[in-house]
Amino acid sequence: MPQAGLPEFATDLARALDALAAARVDIPVIQPAEPFLDMAGEDLRRRIFLTESETGESLCLRPEFTIPVCSAHIAENVATPRRYSYLGQVFRQRRDGANEFYQAGVEDLGEPDEARADARALSEARALIAEFAPAKNLSIILGDQSVFEAVVAGLGLPAGWQKRLIHAFGNEQALNAMIARLANPDSAAQPDASVAGFLANGDVDGLEAHIEEVMQQTGYSTNASRSPAEIAARLIGKQALDATRLSPGSLDALKAFLALDVPLDRAASALSDFARDAGLDISAAQSAFKARLNALSERGEDLGAIRWRAAFGRPLDYYTGLVFEISAGSDNLVLAGGGRYDRLMTLLGAHDPIPAVGFSLWLDRIQTVRAGQ
Amino acid sequence: MTLTVALPSKGRMKDDAIAIFARAGLTVSAIGNDRSYRGRIEGIEDVEVAFLSASEIARELGAGAVDFGVTGEDLVRESLARADERVEITARLGFGNADVVVAVPDIWKDVDSMADLGDVAADFRTRHGRRLTIATKYWRLTQNFFSTRHGIQLYRIVESLGATEGAPASGAADIIVDITSTGSTLTANHLRILSDGVILRSEACLVRARKAEHDADPRVAALISAVRAALG
Repeated sequence: MPQAGLPEFATDLARALDALAAARVDIPVIQPAEPFLDMAGEDLRRRIFLTESETGESLCLRPEFTIPVCSAHIAENVATPRRYSYLGQVFRQRRDGANEFYQAGVEDLGEPDEARADARALSEARALIAEFAPAKNLSIILGDQSVFEAVVAGLGLPAGWQKRLIHAFGNEQALNAMIARLANPDSAAQPDASVAGFLANGDVDGLEAHIEEVMQQTGYSTNASRSPAEIAARLIGKQALDATRLSPGSLDALKAFLALDVPLDRAASALSDFARDAGLDISAAQSAFKARLNALSERGEDLGAIRWRAAFGRPLDYYTGLVFEISAGSDNLVLAGGGRYDRLMTLLGAHDPIPAVGFSLWLDRIQTVRAGQ
Repeated sequence: MTLTVALPSKGRMKDDAIAIFARAGLTVSAIGNDRSYRGRIEGIEDVEVAFLSASEIARELGAGAVDFGVTGEDLVRESLARADERVEITARLGFGNADVVVAVPDIWKDVDSMADLGDVAADFRTRHGRRLTIATKYWRLTQNFFSTRHGIQLYRIVESLGATEGAPASGAADIIVDITSTGSTLTANHLRILSDGVILRSEACLVRARKAEHDADPRVAALISAVRAALG
């Protein structure tokens, strides 16, 4: 039987969280659904428990803590850097496991030393798992979207293609489809006859005026959705996108990068070997990566026990850098997950960018591991 | 045990379904007057006909409340999660043909494919301060197609219960997912189907609710083969 109540180790876990110098926040169980759907997309709709208020506002049972913790921080206009912790029930429809379970975690907002904040998040999560789920076969995987971004930029792809690849990062199927298209572009696509003339002459103003005219004739507002200027600009950019073909050398480099999977103590040398072999200048990303490694070592983390997998990421547009997962057992039960989401705070309405990193622990899975000991 | 067959309660779908059943030697007659919602199949004992709306038929099949139903594949796949585990499409009936498609304003000359739409969706929030919106009544089909098949997650669905094709021009949504048979309504509203934007080619189907007791019931196999034979 799945237990609906707090797991027995929760009191000790709460004490351990309090020792992490992060103010405990109490988040209401009932939340406006809009921010979750807006950040994570419509996919989440199937997995959250939705209802409607009397006035028609969409409400849900909180499916996670990061978004409401960040929103509360923005609403209260608190100075940064600041760290929050939480422990409570979340509600999600899952194929495996109960629909209500407990999560605990830390959000670290506004720490300017990103390497230090990254290392701290990973190290705290690792220590909590070591204490509360003392499994022998733990595995820790780390990924870093900013290194992938540097590689893609270094390959000299047009900006549109860089965006496509970065957007697909973390979704293996989508990324492979993009790479296949880059290797073998669809040359059959021809621009529509009504705009081909403007494109052939490079007549941007004429193109925009034409689009505007058609929109007015057909009763489409020119400012409610995509504007004539936006459509014209992308149409011109698309010519270059469709024609882009990645050279075999660059394609090999991209694939070689995505295949990198090494213990973290060998990651820096693997990355510099890769950059040298591929002839890419990604030194800025390399130094940021090394700074994080150093910060992890300074915290006493065993780099040999963590794997860096270059293709590991989360395909949500607010994740920007570090991601990690700690899992146990042969079926790789994920006990903790975390990452850097520098874009989330401004998406949620913060005036200025606020760097942010955090992690959360899955208490029901930790309980499973404890029960198996 | 009574077998229940659900047929559409009105319109072309009702006439076409009854015509196929008649060709299969299954004469459907209404109990009471012509407007009755109950019927039987002449000459077969213990088979009951229920006249329901096409979307109700899909739902009742999913719940196992009816044994067979004639309804559109679009409604089956939209109403039921993991439809293939719950129902079986035993025959495609060749009428009620319509495609569920992704259509964008025709003037979006830079958007030909789902990959183009993915680019637009990825940038939409930065440019417009909101996500790309899709007007549709097909929530499930849209989500499966966009997220699972094309890895596009960043959009919002605006529920549309009618005249979906008017949503982009009226500003209610940016694009639509809707059903179309000839495409003429889309063209009239200056919308264009993406080159890889057909989500489902739907038509009316004879659908069976998966029930264990069907295996040993000769009437089930007989009904399926009679309808299949009538399709030639």
